[in-house]
Amino acid sequence: MASERPLLIPSTRTPCSPSLQSPQSIPFPGFKPISTTNPSSAYTMDRHGSLDRSGSLSTIQEIPQNPRVLYSSSARTSISSRSNRSKAAAGRNSVEEEFADVSLSSLSIDSLNLPRSKQLGSRGGGESEVFSASQKEINEENARFIYLNDPQLTNDRYEFAGNFIKTSKYSVFSFLPRNLFEQFHRVAYIYFLIIAILNQLPQLAVFGRGASLLPLAVVLLVTAIKDAYEDWRRHRSDRIENNRVVEVLAMEDLQFRLKKWKDIRVGEMVRVKTNETLPCDMVLLSTSDPSGVSYVQTINLDGETNLKTRYAKQETLSLAKDGVISTVAVIKCEQPNRNIYGFQANMEFEDGKRLSLGPSNIILRGCELKNTDWAVGVIVYAGQETKVMLNSSGTPSKRSRLETSMNREIICLSLFLIALCTAVSTCFGIWLQGQNDDDLDIMPYFRKKSFDEDGGNYNFYGLWLEILFMFLMSVIVFQIMIPISLYISMELVRLGQAYFMIRDTELYDEASNSRFQCRALNINEDLGQVKYVFSDKTGTLTENKMDFQRACIGGLDYYGRGTSSNEGGADEIAVKVNGEVWKPKMKLKADSELLKLLKSPGETPEKRQAHDYFLALAACNTIVPLPVETREKGVRLIDYQGESPDEQALVYAAAAYGFVLLERTSGHIVIDVQGEKQRFNILGLHEFDSDRKRMSVIVGCPDQTVRAFVKGADSSMFGVLSKSINSDLVHVTESHLHSYSSLGLRTLVMGMRELTELEFQQWQSDYEKASTSLIGRACLLRSVAGNIESNLKLLGASGVEDKLQQGVPEAIESLRQAGIKVWVLTGDKQETAISIGYSCKLLTSDMKQIIINSRSKEACRKSLREAKALADRNQLRRDAQETFSSAQEPLALIIDGNSLVYILETELEIELFELATACAVVLCCRVAPLQKAGIVALIKNRTYDMTLAIGDGANDVSMIQMADVGIGISGQEGRQAVMASDFAMGQFRFLVPLLLVHGHWNYQRMGYMILYNFYRNAVFVFILFWYVIYAAYTVTTAITEWSSVLYSVIYTSFPTVIVGVLDKDVSHKTLLKYPRLYGAGQRGESYKFKLFCWTMADTLWQSAVVFYIPYFTYRVSTVDISMLGDLWTLAVVILVNIHLAMDVFRWSWITHAALWGTIVATCICISVIDSVPYLPGYWAIFHFANAASFWLDLLFIVVTALIPRFVVKMFKQHLKPSDIQIGREAEKFRNPSNQPSQVTVELQPVVDPVRR
Amino acid sequence: MNSSGATTSSATSGPSDTVAPRRNSKRPKYSKFTQQELPACKPILTPGWVITAFTLIGIIFIPIGVASLLASRDVVEIVYQYETECIPPNARNNKLGYIQDPTTNKNCIATLTVPKRMEAPVYVYYQLDNFYQNHRRYVKSRSDTQLRSPTNENDTSACDPEDNTANGSPIVPCGLIAWSLFNDTYAFSRNNTTLNVNSKGIAWKSDRNAKFGSDVFPKNFQNGALIGGAKLDPRKPLSEQENLIVWMRTAALPTFRKLYGRIQDDLEANEKLSVQIANNYNTYSFGGKKKLVLSTTSWLGGKNDFLGIAYITVGGLCFFLATVFFVVYLFKPRPLGDPSYLSWNRNPAGH
Repeated sequence: MASERPLLIPSTRTPCSPSLQSPQSIPFPGFKPISTTNPSSAYTMDRHGSLDRSGSLSTIQEIPQNPRVLYSSSARTSISSRSNRSKAAAGRNSVEEEFADVSLSSLSIDSLNLPRSKQLGSRGGGESEVFSASQKEINEENARFIYLNDPQLTNDRYEFAGNFIKTSKYSVFSFLPRNLFEQFHRVAYIYFLIIAILNQLPQLAVFGRGASLLPLAVVLLVTAIKDAYEDWRRHRSDRIENNRVVEVLAMEDLQFRLKKWKDIRVGEMVRVKTNETLPCDMVLLSTSDPSGVSYVQTINLDGETNLKTRYAKQETLSLAKDGVISTVAVIKCEQPNRNIYGFQANMEFEDGKRLSLGPSNIILRGCELKNTDWAVGVIVYAGQETKVMLNSSGTPSKRSRLETSMNREIICLSLFLIALCTAVSTCFGIWLQGQNDDDLDIMPYFRKKSFDEDGGNYNFYGLWLEILFMFLMSVIVFQIMIPISLYISMELVRLGQAYFMIRDTELYDEASNSRFQCRALNINEDLGQVKYVFSDKTGTLTENKMDFQRACIGGLDYYGRGTSSNEGGADEIAVKVNGEVWKPKMKLKADSELLKLLKSPGETPEKRQAHDYFLALAACNTIVPLPVETREKGVRLIDYQGESPDEQALVYAAAAYGFVLLERTSGHIVIDVQGEKQRFNILGLHEFDSDRKRMSVIVGCPDQTVRAFVKGADSSMFGVLSKSINSDLVHVTESHLHSYSSLGLRTLVMGMRELTELEFQQWQSDYEKASTSLIGRACLLRSVAGNIESNLKLLGASGVEDKLQQGVPEAIESLRQAGIKVWVLTGDKQETAISIGYSCKLLTSDMKQIIINSRSKEACRKSLREAKALADRNQLRRDAQETFSSAQEPLALIIDGNSLVYILETELEIELFELATACAVVLCCRVAPLQKAGIVALIKNRTYDMTLAIGDGANDVSMIQMADVGIGISGQEGRQAVMASDFAMGQFRFLVPLLLVHGHWNYQRMGYMILYNFYRNAVFVFILFWYVIYAAYTVTTAITEWSSVLYSVIYTSFPTVIVGVLDKDVSHKTLLKYPRLYGAGQRGESYKFKLFCWTMADTLWQSAVVFYIPYFTYRVSTVDISMLGDLWTLAVVILVNIHLAMDVFRWSWITHAALWGTIVATCICISVIDSVPYLPGYWAIFHFANAASFWLDLLFIVVTALIPRFVVKMFKQHLKPSDIQIGREAEKFRNPSNQPSQVTVELQPVVDPVRR
Repeated sequence: MNSSGATTSSATSGPSDTVAPRRNSKRPKYSKFTQQELPACKPILTPGWVITAFTLIGIIFIPIGVASLLASRDVVEIVYQYETECIPPNARNNKLGYIQDPTTNKNCIATLTVPKRMEAPVYVYYQLDNFYQNHRRYVKSRSDTQLRSPTNENDTSACDPEDNTANGSPIVPCGLIAWSLFNDTYAFSRNNTTLNVNSKGIAWKSDRNAKFGSDVFPKNFQNGALIGGAKLDPRKPLSEQENLIVWMRTAALPTFRKLYGRIQDDLEANEKLSVQIANNYNTYSFGGKKKLVLSTTSWLGGKNDFLGIAYITVGGLCFFLATVFFVVYLFKPRPLGDPSYLSWNRNPAGH
C-alpha cells in the first residue's frame, strides 16, 4: 500500500548530494530536434549528423554502462534536460518546471550567429531525487502491463476497468431500497416508522391508520423526490460523458475511428484533437509537434489554468507515422493511484530496448489538449481507475454538527418517553391487579366481559398483555415527545436562511456577477461554529492576477504617471505578424515619462538602461506566448502562458512598453522591440532555485553580443552586482525596493552582464561539462551559474502586485478576532506563501516563524520536537507572566508539502497536530490536493472544532469535501471547487459576513429552534401525562385528537419557523464590529446539554402549571372532558407562543403577525372543531368561554408558568450577561447617534461595502 | 487569467466597469425584507421594565384574587354523601348484593339543613367520586352520529360491547356511556311540601338542538344481560332526555358533579330539607362515592377558593420579586451595554 500512497511526493532539491546510479537507471537520452522552427533540418541533422559536432562526453560515459544507448542516435547532447524530465519523479515540482524545460530542453545556438552549434541545458537541481525515484523499479506483482494497441492481450490476464464512469448513486431498481436505507439513517425516522407500525395493530389503534403513517410518508416522499432528481442529473451527466466520442486506432486497418468513451479499453490507442478533453489517462506516444510536445490544460484536474507541456518520447515519436505506431511494445506501469503528479512506468520494445516514462509523459483524464493539433497515446488507466476519478472521492452527505448533537438529546427524550410509558403501564397494571375480577365485569367504565351470546371478553387480553398494550399505546400517544415536525421545521428554516444568504447584497460579487450559492442545505448552522478556516491561496486570497506596478530603472521610480491605455488605438501596443495584428492580452497603464524616455530620439545612457531593463523583463523568463484568436478578424491576442504569474506580469509589462515577446521556441525568442522584430538566441538558462534565489539567461543578441540577463530577489542580487557601479544608485534602488515591499509588492531586481568572447567560451565549456556530468550535476551547475551571475550591472527593480482580493487582510483580521484560526494551504513556493502571508496580514512582524522544511522522517521528527519545545516555552512564558496579551509572541508555523509527506498518516501526525494548534498561524506550502485534505483531517479527526475549507480550484476539492463546511470561490479557475462545495461565493472577504453574521444568526436561530421544539412538544406530552394519572392510566387524552395533530402543525409551528428564519439576536453591524461575538457559536452557547436540561426542568414546571391550575379549579365541577381539554389546549398554545414571544429579539411586523396570528388561528381551529356536531366536544368552548373562571385560569396559567423562566432570565441578564446580551444593549442604548464622534469610527464595519 | 475579450484590463478596471448597466446582473434586489432589515422593535428588559412588570402583575392579581375569594365565600353549598347512609345497616356488609338485587326498595330519606340563605336558583347536583368517565374504553364507547339522526342508527361500531342486541339490532343510544346512565333520583320536600326540582333545561341548548336528534328514540336500551343504569322512555326523543344529555358529557376527572335540576325557590337559613333518595346506581363495585349537592352560584361559578388563593399568592410573589430585583439593582447595578462587561474584556487572558 505504501507505494500507492498518494501523498508521497519526493522533495524538490537536495543540494550537492549526488546519488550513485545503478546501470539500469540510466535514462534513455531524449531525442530532441534543435529548433522547432526548422524541424525537418534539425531532425535530419540530429539523426544523421555526425557525432563529432558536439562534445559527446555523455555518450562516451554512458556507453559502457548501458550499451542500448547506442540505439538512440541522439544520445549526444540533450541528455541532461531530456532525461531528467523523462525521469522526473512524482511530484508537483516536475510539473511546475515544465516550462523551464520548454526553453532549455534543447537549447541551440543558431548557426547564423555562432560558429558552432551546441546544445546546452541546465537544470537547477533535482537530479539526485529524480534519479533515485526512477531507480525504484516497479514491482512486478504491482505492475500492470499494457501492450501497445493490443487491448486483447492487455486485458487478457486481468480485465482492467473500462472507461465507463458512474457518479450516480442509484439505479432504477436500487433507488427505493437504497434511498430508504439512507433516509432511515436518521434515528428519528426509524422511531416514527415503529410508531406507525404499532398503530396498525388493532389493539393499539390509537389514531387512524392512515393518519399515523401520513406525516412520515410525506417526509420520506419529499426527500426521496429530491434525491431522485439529484441523482437523475448525475445520471444524465454520466451519460453525456460516457457517450462522448474520441478517435481510437482500430487494430485491423490501423485507422483512427470514432468510438464512444465508454467503450474505450486499456491498451487502445487514441488520438485527441486540439481543445478536446482526454477521455482517460494515456501515455503520450506522438503529437502533431515534431518535437513531441503537447500542451495541456489541467484546469479540471488541479485547477491551474496555465498550459502544461507533456512530451512524447523521442523513441515513440520516431516510430510513429502520422501518429500510428504499429510497433509491438509493452508498458509496465504502477497500479492506479490518486497521485496526479506522479507516474512511473517503463516501456519495453520487442528488441528489448527499455524506456522509462514519467509524469511528463502521461496526460490525465479531464485535461484539455491545447495548441497541439493532435496527440496520440496509449491508454493506461480508464474509467474509475483514472487519477481524476480516484481523486473525486464522491460527495459524502454532510450532517450539521447541531443535528448530530441533537441526536443525544433525542435519545434523552426517548428515555423520558420510555420512563413515562413505563410509569403509565406499571400504574395501570397495579390498578388492574387491585381490582376484583368480578368487579371488572360490571364496572360501568371498564367492562371486561362482552355479555354477548358468545360471552367473550371485551378487549381484554389478560393482565400482562394489557400492560404491554398499555405501554405501546402510551408510546403512540406520547410519540410527539420526539418532534418529527422539528425535522420539517429545520428544513424550512434552512431554506429560509438560505434565501436570505443568497439574497444578501453583501454576498454578491460584482466582478463575477455571482450571487452567494447554497449548495448544501443542511449545514447552514455550522457556519456559526467554525473554528478553523483552511484557505487556498491563489485565487482565494489573491485575485490570481499579477500586476506590474512599479519600476525602478537607474534609480528612478516610475509609478504609472499619466495613462496611455485609455487614449485609444493610437497608443495601443500592436504588432503586425504575418499580416495579422497581435496585441498583448492584458494591457497595462504605462508610465508616460518612461514611455517618453523610451521613445526619445538619440542614445542616452538612461534610454539604454531602460531598453536593457525591458529586454531583461521580456527575455529572462520561461513564458510562452500563445496567440489567441479573437472575434475580430486578423486580430490575435497574445496570451502569455507560464507557470509563474510574476513572470507573466513582467512580460506583459515589457509588452506595454513596446517589448512584445512574440515567440519562444527551444532555441530562440522573438521580441518586437518598439516595432522592430528582433531574434534573440537563448544560449543557456540557469533556472531559479531557492538557494541562489535568481535565474539567468544567456542571450545571443542580434548585435552579436552575448549577454546574461539575471533577475532575482533583492537579497541575492545586491551581492553579485559589479563593484564598479555607483553605490548611490544601489542605495536609491534599495530604498525604492524597501518602499515597494512595504506596499506589499513582490520585488525583483534585474541585472545584466555583457559577456566577452572569452567569458562566453569559458562559461560554455563549464556549462557543458556541468550539465553532462553524472555526479553532482546540480552543484556544478550552480557554481557555473554563480560564476556567470556576478559582476552584474544593475538595471533596475520591479514591483509586482499579486493582487490580493479586495478586503482580504481585513477579513483575515476579523476572522482572527472572531477566534477563527486561518490556515493557508497553498501549492506555491514557500517564499511566495510567506510574502502573501505578510501582505494579507496573516503573518505579522511580531510573529516567530517556525519553518519545517525537511526531507526525511527523522528530520521532520527532529524539527517538530524542536518547534514543540519552543511552543511550550512560549506557552510557559505566557502563563508565567500572566500579563496582558502584548507580551506573548505568537507563533507561525510554515511547513511544506515535502515534510508533510513524512508526517501525515504517520505517528508524527499527532506531534504536528499539537504544534499546529499551539501556533497562531499555519502556512502550508507546496501541498498536493490530497495533502490539503489530510491537513483538514488532521484537525477534524482530533478535535470537535468545526473546520471550514475555502478554495477555488479543482485542487481544493478534496479539502472542501473533507472539511465540515466547504466553500467554493467561483472565480477564475473553473467550477470544480464550486461543484464540490457546500456554499459558493465570489470573494474571500464574503467569509466575514457569511460566518460572523449569517453563520452566527443561523446557529443561534437553529439552536434556539431545536430547544424550543423540544420544549414545545415535551410540554404537550407532559400535560397529556398528568392527565393520564387522573384517567385510570388508560392514556385518555382530554385534548381532542384533532388538536393533538394540529398542535405541531398549526398551533405552534409557524412562529418557530418565522423566528428561526428572521430573528436576529444582534444586528449585523454589531456582529461585524465585535467579531468576538462569534465565539458564542464556537462555544456552542445556543445549544448545549446544560441548556437542554434546564429547558426540560422548565418544561416540567410549565406543564404542571398548565395541567394543575385547571385541575384544582375544576376538580369537583360539572366541567366535562372536552371543555377542560379545550382549556388545556388553549392554555398550552398561548403559553408556548408567549414563551417564544419572550425570547424573540426583534419584533418586526412578520413576527407579530406570525405569533398573534397563530394564537388567533388556534382559537379559530378550536372553535371550528367544537362546531362539528359529530364530535363529542360540540360547542364546549363556547359554553366555557362564558365562564369567568375560564379566562381567569388562562391568565393565571400563562403568567405563573412563565415566572420562573422570566426570573432566571432576568437575573442571568443582569448578573452574568452574555456577550450577545451586552451587544444588544449597546446597540439599543449606545446608539451611534448618541456618541457620534467616538462610535462611528468604531462602528465602521471591518468589511461593509456601502449598501444601496 | 482565463478571462477573454480585449477589454480585460487589470490596471484600468474600475468605475468604467460599473457605470455600464449590466443587463443580466444577478445582483439581488435590495429590499428591507431580503436584507433582513425590516423595521423592528427590539425590546430589552431593563430593570425598570422588569420591576414595573412584576409590580403591575401584583397590582392586577391581588384584586382578582380577593374578588374571587369573596365570590367563592358567597356561594352556599350543601353536600350530602349518601352511598353508605342509604343502605340499610344490615345490608352494609354486602352493598354490592344489595344494590344489584332488583327486588329491594332502595329509597332512603335524608334531612339537610340549609346553613345560610340560598337564593334561587339553587342548583342540585349529584357528585360521583372515583368514577372514571374518562376511562379510555368508556370515553370511546359512544356513537355521536347515531345520537343525531335515526338514519345512522346502525352506526354502532365504536359502541362495543353495548352496540347491538343479541339478535343484531342496534341499541339506541349505544355504548357504555349511555348504558351506565346515572339513575339515582331525588325528591325534595320542605315542611312536608314538595319542593319542585326543575330538570328542564339542565342540558346545553346546543346539545339539545344539534347533537341529540329530536327524532331519535331509544331502542333496545338496557335490554341486555347486564343493566348498567337508568332506562329511558322510548317514547321521548333523545333531545328531550336531558339527564342522558348531561350524562353523555363525560366528565374530565374521576370526581365530578352533574346537574340534576334547579330549585326555583329561595331556601332560608336553618331550613330543614327532606330528600327522598332512590339509591339505584351501583358505585359499590368500584368503591365510588355518591354525593348530593345543593349549591348557589356566583359570577365565578361554584364554591372553590383555589383560584382566589392562587391569584393572591402569585400576586404577592410578584411584589416580592419586584422588591428583590429592586434591591439587586440598587446594590449591584450594571450599566446597560457597557462593553467592559464583554467576556474578553473581563478576562483578557482569553478562555
